[in-house]
Amino acid sequence: MSITLQDRQQMLCIEDLTVSYHRVPAIHHLSLSMGSGHCVGLFGPNGAGKSTLLKSIAGLLKPETGQILIEGIPLEKAASLIAYLPQRESVDWDFPVTVRGLVEMGRYHQVGLLGSFTQRDRRAVDEALELFNLTPLARRQIKELSGGQQQRAFLARAWAQEADLYLLDEPFGGLDRTSATALSSALRTLRERGKLLLVSHHALAEAESLFDSAILLNGELVACGLTAEALSPQNLECAYGTAVYSGTHHHS
Amino acid sequence: MTWFSHLFTSLLEPFGYSFMQRALLSCALIGFTNGFLGTFIILRRQALLADALSHSLLPGLALAAMIVGLSPGGLLLGGLLAALFVALGAQVMARNSRLKEETAVASLYIIAFALGIVLIRFAKVKVDLTHFLFGNILGVGNGDLWIAYGAAFLTLGTLVLFQRPLLLTLFDAAVAQASGIRVKWVETGLLALTVLGLVASLQAVGVLLSLGLLIIPAATAYLLTDSFNKMLWGGAFLGMICAVGGLFLSFFANIPSGPCIVMLMAVFLGAAYLFSPRYGVFFKLIRGRHYHEESLERWEGHQGHDHQVPDKNS
Repeated sequence: MSITLQDRQQMLCIEDLTVSYHRVPAIHHLSLSMGSGHCVGLFGPNGAGKSTLLKSIAGLLKPETGQILIEGIPLEKAASLIAYLPQRESVDWDFPVTVRGLVEMGRYHQVGLLGSFTQRDRRAVDEALELFNLTPLARRQIKELSGGQQQRAFLARAWAQEADLYLLDEPFGGLDRTSATALSSALRTLRERGKLLLVSHHALAEAESLFDSAILLNGELVACGLTAEALSPQNLECAYGTAVYSGTHHHS
Repeated sequence: MTWFSHLFTSLLEPFGYSFMQRALLSCALIGFTNGFLGTFIILRRQALLADALSHSLLPGLALAAMIVGLSPGGLLLGGLLAALFVALGAQVMARNSRLKEETAVASLYIIAFALGIVLIRFAKVKVDLTHFLFGNILGVGNGDLWIAYGAAFLTLGTLVLFQRPLLLTLFDAAVAQASGIRVKWVETGLLALTVLGLVASLQAVGVLLSLGLLIIPAATAYLLTDSFNKMLWGGAFLGMICAVGGLFLSFFANIPSGPCIVMLMAVFLGAAYLFSPRYGVFFKLIRGRHYHEESLERWEGHQGHDHQVPDKNS
């Protein structure tokens, strides 16, 4: 199993991570490390710190203690290796950009501020579109896609970016069945190509078919490992049976 | 041929006056720059913040008029400081109290506006309030022209240089930050350029109408294209055409230039709203966008799809 004691050379290594909002910790002293080529589901009750963990790895939240290493490099210097996929609601779907334009955004850090797109950049964009079956839709404005196609367009952008670590916050939320199937096959493709995917997910029902590994959170790390083992009845009881500490008052 | 040459001479008439030459040049520069900048403001959904900022320029102008008189440089500095004070003040207020940012912005700018009207009475020189409110394009002096040059150079240069980080930030600030862009800097820079654009267009259209040059051309372009680049340059050219065209109209019809420019832009916006091929109300009514063929394709062997089930809703 890939989720082991700390190995700092692993794809992702988290050491003693604590993240708080207004002094109430959302994640407590969390340590784990993971290698490439896995699709990892992130489970836990509401407020367990799933989004917090993803945002911390994306560099959007400052850790109170501990650190995060990507391929042995501190987070701040590894931004281009990470692709954080936005939640659907945070995207302006009326933005004047086509699917191709969106995928091209993934190349911006390679081409720099003013550099023009080279043959290699264009090839990377073509390849990403091809990989996620978006080539026929490349000229569409992003609103003219179905929910599943929109998710795949963002995955294609991450692919063009040559990211190694994909962070997805509830990507299956609001997808119909066919779109969900297409998305999970896209995730499988990425895993087979040696990427590490971290996916927060709500439903436990199909965990095993979607993810090869799982992390179970409840403010603290309850379990991580192969999906079936991590989501064992005892672990689930432990994660969902204890109320999440949310300070002196309750918030939903 | 006489009527033709007559028409020609009278069309060229404005170019004969040096005040008119300066006015035209200034209009072209400001129209282009603010039209370009407008795309960023619209996509960041800050049209109303820009409006608030334009009003908050007044106390800065008044203060400058009190201290250094009516020199363009002083007015520029005063306006810039006042608007930044309102923008940053609102952020501080929103962060430290329960007031939301738009409430804080609205309160501060209207207070600033009132303060400006009070202060203007104490100006050293006699200042005509309507001059600030509605502009006086024919009074463009060489100093104003230099400000227009500077604003155009600085704004266009910065926006073109940082177009990519800006685009990423506008599209999704969280993702942009995750990819290593200093989003706070980008946003503050954009705010500063907005204020600069507003100040530069004061002489032409005044405090109350300066927003028009910043918003309407880009809004028109937004209705016409799905390409960020086309929206940028389209808005810029449209802004320039309207500013120059509006000035001509005002010359011949003897109407103040500010309203002429805004009304001309209104014609374009109205036309795009109604008749844009893709997003116009008119064409939406007579033919809704239809994906008949794509929908059929799902049942015909799924060309180009290698997952088993084609997506619904396509």
